[in-house]
Amino acid sequence: MKWMHQDVQNYTKAKEYIDSAIMPLIPFSFQGDDELSQLAYQHEVMQILMTQIEKQLKGRVFLLPVYNYLKQNKLEDEYERLETVVNHVNEQPFKHIFLFTFDKKWRKYSSKIDAELIWLPAPQQGDLNQVETQQLVQSQVSEIEDLIKEQWDE
Amino acid sequence: MSEKKNNQVSRRQFLNYTLTGVGGFMGAAVVAPMVGMAVDPLLQADGSDDFEYVMDVDEITTEPQRKTFYIDQQDGWYDTEAERAAWIYRDENGDILALSPICTHLGCVVDWETGDHDNEFFCPCHYGRYDKNGVNIPGTPPEGPLHAYEYRIEDGRLYLGRANPREGA
Ligand code: FES
Repeated sequence: MKWMHQDVQNYTKAKEYIDSAIMPLIPFSFQGDDELSQLAYQHEVMQILMTQIEKQLKGRVFLLPVYNYLKQNKLEDEYERLETVVNHVNEQPFKHIFLFTFDKKWRKYSSKIDAELIWLPAPQQGDLNQVETQQLVQSQVSEIEDLIKEQWDE
Repeated sequence: MSEKKNNQVSRRQFLNYTLTGVGGFMGAAVVAPMVGMAVDPLLQADGSDDFEYVMDVDEITTEPQRKTFYIDQQDGWYDTEAERAAWIYRDENGDILALSPICTHLGCVVDWETGDHDNEFFCPCHYGRYDKNGVNIPGTPPEGPLHAYEYRIEDGRLYLGRANPREGA
């Protein structure tokens, strides 16, 4: 399910089945043009990953709006804000919460936060028109899918 | 040749999942008030009369094969291409079946023969199961069979149209 009118109607009728929330953590920053292009690319890939996962697992997964933050922000402060969000979602209740990020800095919080924090290696900038790039992204989608299913089976 | 074409997903198609979302949202907001103003073409959404080539008839086996194809979707303001998938095979009577992989429970994508589910379609979300004809197995969450695509055959080529619900188990 997506954060959209029609999907939310379905969600409220079938909450007991839709027990997993997924949310991408996406930094942005206008400091430096190189980084700008890198971050924008990562954002694009992350959006594709999330929409694909939502499509495959629509009936059990709720894709939350993106968690955006300024790249240069102190992560301690950011962590507090994220924790508030996660706690709120946990109260819904969702049984599983998966957070996805390419940003290494989050890793040290993975044991602290009340959610499954999944760090993915940042993709090399590529051309999303290229079949090879698409296959790479596609294989990452399958890996993430397997990971989620493993959690379900536990 | 045509097979190759199927694999070469354009950027537009690839990003389409994202765009469909936005398009759908805009469509819903904008089209609704206009319908009352008798804008007829807008009502004929989703290109229901279009059939798309998916495979040659002589490639169809009794083992389900997964094929994807793209349809043009008219969303009021947006023309987008949407990806569709189908499991295609011949049933025990030799009739062609083209089933939608969308679980009739809550919409996850089902797979053919995953894990230890021989000769069944299986949904990973709430463990819904369907027999080889795509009919839901009682006692699992889905309440109806997998939808079946309308099809046409021309010159030994199989074309699929829209997917329709079928009678339940
Ligand atoms: S969505 Fe397939 S069993 Fe629930």
